[in-house]
Amino acid sequence: MDLNLAGLNAVVTGGSRGIGREIGRQLAGEGCNVATFGRGETAVREAVAEYESLGVRAYGATLQGRDGDAVRAWTRAAAETLGGIDLVFANLSAGGGTGSPGYWRRNFEIDMMSAVRTVEEAMPFLERSRAPSILVMGSMASAETFVGPMAYNGIKAALTIWAQQLAQQLAPKGIRVNVVSPGPTLYEGSNWEMIRIARSRIFASAERRHPLKRMARPDEIARTAVFLASPAASWCQGANLLVDGGYSKRVPF
Amino acid sequence: MTIQRVTGQDFTKTPIDKAPTPDLGYEMIPKERYISADYMRKEWDRLWTKVWLLGCREDDIPEPGDYHVTSIGPEEILIARQADGSVRAFYNVCLHRGNRIMVGQGHAESFKCRYHHWDYNVDGTFRDIPDRETFPQGAPPCSGLSEVRCDTWNSFVFFSLNPDVEPLLDYLDPLPAHLDPYHFDRMVKIMDVTVEWDCNWKTSVDAFNESYHVQGIHPELLYFLDDYDIQIDCYDRHSRYLVPFVTLSKRVRETTELPHLIKHAMQEAEMDPADFDGQAREVRRALQQWKREHGPRLGLDYSDLNDDQLTDDYHYLIFPNLTLNTHADDLMLFRQRPHPTDPDKMYFDMYLFRLLKAGEERPDPPRNATYKHGEISLGLVVDQDAYNLPGVQRGMHSNGLPGLWIGDQELRIRHFHKVLADYVGE
Repeated sequence: MDLNLAGLNAVVTGGSRGIGREIGRQLAGEGCNVATFGRGETAVREAVAEYESLGVRAYGATLQGRDGDAVRAWTRAAAETLGGIDLVFANLSAGGGTGSPGYWRRNFEIDMMSAVRTVEEAMPFLERSRAPSILVMGSMASAETFVGPMAYNGIKAALTIWAQQLAQQLAPKGIRVNVVSPGPTLYEGSNWEMIRIARSRIFASAERRHPLKRMARPDEIARTAVFLASPAASWCQGANLLVDGGYSKRVPF
Repeated sequence: MTIQRVTGQDFTKTPIDKAPTPDLGYEMIPKERYISADYMRKEWDRLWTKVWLLGCREDDIPEPGDYHVTSIGPEEILIARQADGSVRAFYNVCLHRGNRIMVGQGHAESFKCRYHHWDYNVDGTFRDIPDRETFPQGAPPCSGLSEVRCDTWNSFVFFSLNPDVEPLLDYLDPLPAHLDPYHFDRMVKIMDVTVEWDCNWKTSVDAFNESYHVQGIHPELLYFLDDYDIQIDCYDRHSRYLVPFVTLSKRVRETTELPHLIKHAMQEAEMDPADFDGQAREVRRALQQWKREHGPRLGLDYSDLNDDQLTDDYHYLIFPNLTLNTHADDLMLFRQRPHPTDPDKMYFDMYLFRLLKAGEERPDPPRNATYKHGEISLGLVVDQDAYNLPGVQRGMHSNGLPGLWIGDQELRIRHFHKVLADYVGE
């Protein structure tokens, strides 16, 4: 099966590590040019160098996801550098947090609005693309109570609903919109890595709740996301694909 | 990202210069020092009866007649506030037949032995000997209770069983210049707990004199402090290291979310972690600046402290047995005392002091409570140490252990043993 990604241009928000970094790696491996941003200058530089080493054009910037102007400027710069935008991966997240109403503003600006702003800026390019597609990173935690009452879960649900509505609105233009909802994912620099080291009992109990007794690797999420966004998934529109290794138990009839 | 530190150009009252690293070699430390009853006796004769030792806080005995009984090895010491405001200390034994006179702490008009009611004034002089006519030889030829040397520094009361001991400030040198800027008198005691641990007192001192074990038994601290890139300074008797807090160890990677201990440190200063968009290693400087800016509004006076002191652990050992985790807002003080007879046991005294806000009413300090190991939590980190130390002590007795193999990260242990040997000998 050919994903038909070669020669396309993708923007990935939040790609300095984890799932976003792996999405970029998979895309580059398929011959797709990649632009990304993150907070860590070194990590962004390393990501760009790696993607370029795989023979594609790559562009990276260091910025804060809360900075709306910076996100918009990055999207435009990415389009200019790569020569257009075919794929948008709205991947950035601030993660969870409790104990302050500030987390609602934080997840709204960083998770939700970075996606909205990137899609808005990318839209003129998507409309001209031969294979336009938007992939929104949701979460298993938007469909199942997880950790505790906090903004992260609710904002992930908002992202998912927004994506489904976008899918209906943009379908006539040939733009596909889909969601991947990963379960707990362990990678270098993930919150779960911190929990594994700093609070090993909590980690062990979270791992035991998985039928496969382990958490996802980022490549397992990224490959699914890249497939859903690729022309190979041409008939997927408004899908919300749960990729959690069987962690959640609900049967969505 | 290397840790940024205050430099000679920045404001500081506490000296920050790196002391020359002493050349103490790489010989094994004899394990017998930790397990031998003979060495323990030598420690009593040559160390505990020679040095200055912490007795109590000045605010444990604020009013004339207030007293506090503390112990060191086989001795008990009665510390009492005098009518003139000064503090004096005495062996807590009646000159009649040696009964213990006072217990714990409290207030008294006089110190009366409960056995035969020999009575002493707060200044230690004889007040009353019942049926004195039945002592044809008269009262003991001394004037009253046997006095020991006593002095105060920075809100703490010290005593010494050595009549010829040097002045307290000379003994503490150079630490008063380091620690006076913290103004411990502005802090209030909020915890006073003693726990009997199944290890030698030095096994405990060692545990707090190196950060090498953080990666071993305190993994949660890797997401709160730099356990590797720390400044170690050894002075004549005492030593310190400066541990950057509110950052990440080089052993772990940045994460998306701020670690919970870093969030907690921010929240303590009323800085909202949800509003901070930088990386975890950037919080330390930001929190320093925040506390500098907002401290006055919160009623917290940091004006004598440098920027690093607003976040970091300036960690001191006052030889032989006081460990001070010194922070801008609190002091975590450990006093490690030997058991009277058993080298495999000790008393771990843990005190917590918190900086009072301007205008905040000073609460009464808690009274000391004593427990056996495992009866009370001392907080996650000290619990981790407490759980570990009996195993270390047991291993010292093993034929499989020739001695202690000490590395550069444990320089303070080696320095401590050099000073110890200067007092006690090999």
